[in-house]
Amino acid sequence: MSLFIYLVLIFIASILFLKRKQIVFLFKKIKNEDDKILQEDILKNIYQLQKQNTICKTETISTRLNEDKVKVQNSINKLQKLNFVNTVDEEIHLTESGKTYALKIIRFHRLYEKFLADKTNLNEKTWHKVADEIEHKLNQEDAEKIAAQIGNPVYDPHGDPIPSSSGELPEKIGISLSEMKHNEISVVLHIEDEPHNIYENIVNKGIYKGIQIRFLGIFNNEVSFYANEKLCSLSLDEANNIQVGIPKLEKIHLGEFKKLSSLSVGEKGKIIGIAKSLRGQQRRRIMDLGIVPGTIIEAELESISGDPVAYRVRGTTIALRKNQAEKIYIEKI
Amino acid sequence: MDSKSNREKIISEANRLRWELGENLYDTLMETIYNNASEIANKAVTYSDKKSPFSFDRTLDKILTSKYFGIPIMLMMLAFVFWLTIVGANYPSSILASFLIDFLHPELKNIFLSFNIPNWLVGLLIDGGYLSCAWVVSVMLPPMAIFFPLFTLLEDFGYLPRVAFNLDAIYKKAGAHGKQALTMAMGFGCNAAGIISTRIIDSPRERLIAIITNNFSLCNGRWPTQILIATVFIGSLVPAYLAGFISALAVIFIAVLGIIMSFIVSWALTKTLLKGEISAFSLELPPYRPPRILQTLYTSLIDRTIFVLWRAIVFSFPAGLVIWLISNITIDGISLANHFINFFNPVALIFGLNGVIFLAYIIAIPANELVLPTILMLTVSHLGLNDFGAGSGVLFELESIEDTAKIFQAGGWTLLTGINLMLFSLLHNPCSTTIFTIYKETKSWKWTLVSTFLPIILGLLVTFIVTKIYYLVH
Amino acid sequence: MSFQEQKLSNNIQPDCANCPIHNIGNLKKLGINMDDFDFVVALAGNPNTGKSTVFNYLTGLRQHTGNWPGKTVTRAEGGFEYHNKKFKIVDLPGTYSLLSTSVDEEVARDFILFGQPDVTVIVADATRLERNLNLTLQILEITDRVILCLNLIDEAQRNGITINERILAKELGIPVIPTVARSGRGIDDLLKMIYDIAIGNFKTKPIKLKSNSEELNKAIDEIVGLISVEFPNLPNKRWVALRLLEGDQSIINSILNGELGNIKI
Ligand SMILES: Nc1nc2c(ncn2[C@@H]2O[C@H](COP(=O)(O)OP(=O)(O)O)[C@@H](O)[C@H]2O)c(=O)[nH]1
Ligand SMILES: [Mg+2]
Repeated sequence: MSLFIYLVLIFIASILFLKRKQIVFLFKKIKNEDDKILQEDILKNIYQLQKQNTICKTETISTRLNEDKVKVQNSINKLQKLNFVNTVDEEIHLTESGKTYALKIIRFHRLYEKFLADKTNLNEKTWHKVADEIEHKLNQEDAEKIAAQIGNPVYDPHGDPIPSSSGELPEKIGISLSEMKHNEISVVLHIEDEPHNIYENIVNKGIYKGIQIRFLGIFNNEVSFYANEKLCSLSLDEANNIQVGIPKLEKIHLGEFKKLSSLSVGEKGKIIGIAKSLRGQQRRRIMDLGIVPGTIIEAELESISGDPVAYRVRGTTIALRKNQAEKIYIEKI
Repeated sequence: MDSKSNREKIISEANRLRWELGENLYDTLMETIYNNASEIANKAVTYSDKKSPFSFDRTLDKILTSKYFGIPIMLMMLAFVFWLTIVGANYPSSILASFLIDFLHPELKNIFLSFNIPNWLVGLLIDGGYLSCAWVVSVMLPPMAIFFPLFTLLEDFGYLPRVAFNLDAIYKKAGAHGKQALTMAMGFGCNAAGIISTRIIDSPRERLIAIITNNFSLCNGRWPTQILIATVFIGSLVPAYLAGFISALAVIFIAVLGIIMSFIVSWALTKTLLKGEISAFSLELPPYRPPRILQTLYTSLIDRTIFVLWRAIVFSFPAGLVIWLISNITIDGISLANHFINFFNPVALIFGLNGVIFLAYIIAIPANELVLPTILMLTVSHLGLNDFGAGSGVLFELESIEDTAKIFQAGGWTLLTGINLMLFSLLHNPCSTTIFTIYKETKSWKWTLVSTFLPIILGLLVTFIVTKIYYLVH
Repeated sequence: MSFQEQKLSNNIQPDCANCPIHNIGNLKKLGINMDDFDFVVALAGNPNTGKSTVFNYLTGLRQHTGNWPGKTVTRAEGGFEYHNKKFKIVDLPGTYSLLSTSVDEEVARDFILFGQPDVTVIVADATRLERNLNLTLQILEITDRVILCLNLIDEAQRNGITINERILAKELGIPVIPTVARSGRGIDDLLKMIYDIAIGNFKTKPIKLKSNSEELNKAIDEIVGLISVEFPNLPNKRWVALRLLEGDQSIINSILNGELGNIKI
């Protein structure tokens, strides 16, 4: 008996002890990490500014980061000592090692966003924020483990290429959505996730990476187009934050986009595509089961409440929930 | 050296191509493979034009998932399985008990004593270890040996995925997977088996939910406690001719409460602890296949028998030793058990329970079956009632309900104690086998701890509230 | 022995439903005793196709079977002896595909690629062949020594589905053995074929995937070219190239540390 109590006590004590240790640990970390986060953010920002060929000074960075100028200057001085940046006439430039470091942080950020998209249920609007924090906490080893776990992705969920672990990064491709021509058909390649409010507006309109666009035109500063053949319009600012193009392995579909969920029992359709918003394991499992473009599919059985519905695919019966069937496009036959 | 740079070049070239190809590689690949597959299948497969394939399956599916018959058929099947388990287990259970406990136990004791083995050692091994094993086996084995084969037959036939299909809508609302209905049904037999069966859920989040909430299925080892307590405390509230019916209703109420709890907890988990976990859904409805009755019976019987026997020995033997020891080792002339009971009585009263119950639940961590006999034994020895039982630290069960009621009365039990014991029996930590299984299946201490402590906290909370209300009313 | 001849001798006649099945003369079930073995056999296939039933039949063990996709999750091993050769047989977890990042699929994929079984038996459900061919075609990209065990033939017959296994074998380039694992029908033919392939009496010529995507083919060819320089003897370069395009870490590692060079035909 006493053994039981004893064990329970030890157990509780060890939990408390562990917690305590962790708390102390956290305190220490935050103290000396404060500066690390700022330094890394500065490197990242200089990299981005240089990419846009913008001249980069202390003020530019401090306004971009919304941080005190003195503090920023302090950190830049430290970075200079570490030989990550050099300053010529107040203009700050990344050194080779500074660029490598910046690319590393960008890699962590985009990797983590991809991880969140594929392996968690977090809302797409929070990916960026979470990744912004995690990018400073990851070490090389953990990052590579995450990468391996999600199949070493080369694009993040917004369509930005992820720098390779050796620091290679391709040029961005595609044109801005607002530059498209009347009746041109293209595919959304990239949605800029900053500033956040614009990104949110785009997401709220149901636009996602991989959706097919048929362009109509710009009327009164409103950009009009069909997204998967559904009429849609965005402001110019929003449209400028979307890049479109046709990836090499893309199949363009001309004609109507009907949802699988619109089939009633006994009706048949032919699958034309699966929305890219069906991601990760979920997407792969559905395709593994034979739900791929070109497949004939028949609604066979409705469950008692009407959701899920069982479909006949390639000689098998697969039940899908409504929220999945809504992301599978078909044409009726 | 050269070779190394060659290898690196392969990797970086592949990377470059991946950027170039974009993200449709998997889609393109799957499309390619399935195109090839259907081309080949079209050449090799011919369908008879007399009947369309699986027309029997389709007809059966239409009935089993129909709006009007789907649920009633399911409930009837379930009721049948439970009825057969409970009724059918009675007889073998009492045979096992009379053989292992009434006959073999004194025999063993005599044999040991005749070898001049010291009295205390015989007490420890036979009255402690052996007896608790015998208990677990005779209470648990027969119902399991009936329940699991029946379940396996339904599984073999292909009916279970249809149940998941029918119930998925409800489970989806709680953030869970329709297949959880089946892992929970399995849990009515044994929570450890229920947790192993969550392997059929291939989405990580839904699987964790199913694991954590499986304990809310009132397992086989807890039914006897429920039935006895309901008979003694609830049944006695109504006229004799209604007693059986009302106490059965009370037990069913507890089981249903468990199901409701599992929904609430599932839902709460998806909103809190499991918020970010990924979820995926796919459910294949396999064709119906005629089950192989004899082989199924044989396999699941043998499988479960070994499982139960192993568990009885590994887990209930030490528990038996502990029971015997704490009732027989004394400090200042008072047994350890009584020290504990006296100490915890005031705390337990807050929850409308008592020190005996607390102690019994700690001792019975290895097996829920042990709870009831331990409570009886501890009450008797705590009160020093000499005309009951078989000596201190020896498990027993009484022949008649009246005797049991007398013991409870002497122990100061009230209706509240009875109700709260039933609630606590539903809402407390899983048994150690189940905890161990949870760890094996999740490989995570965090989830093991959550599954262990969450129900205890809920149990204490519920009994606390019930106690408050009870005193308000009385 | 040529492929066609072999096929003919293995053909199950419909009337064999009544022929004695329990006299598989040279089979000795070894249960889990397989300390030293001559050959390794892998059992792969979709969930719920009868893999465990075949496994149990051959080894005399009692792996849990059930009409429920996803029953076998961990890998089971057992052994049998046939014509004085000892075989270790591994029941892999049932998977629909080998291309994903799920644990089950990784186990199955890595075992077939790096474990290099002497024979891989794919247990397929005859009533849903098309879906089962998905996995089959993927495995054929990895290894040549494959047998397709066309199980559940009784179910297929009951539902009016006929499969011409000769056409199927010709299309796939591997032997196809129709079986009813539940009753043991066809298992002796399967055993004979496992034996023949293991000792090298029989050579297969599996087909490879044809993609009609120019871009994909070009990319694969390019990587295969690079791989050929470094690992000229590698039998499944196309598969490795595909896995690289999918970012498979275990393949990347095995290229970087040169382990891939150890894989032989
Ligand atoms: N009718 C029939 N049923 C079979 C046959 N082979 C297996 N089964 C049944 O199919 C179900 C799935 O078999 P199992 O071996 O567990 O498949 P696994 O998931 O691939 O390991 C079980 O109910 C078996 O009894 C067969 O040849 N004919
Ligand atoms: Mg299996």
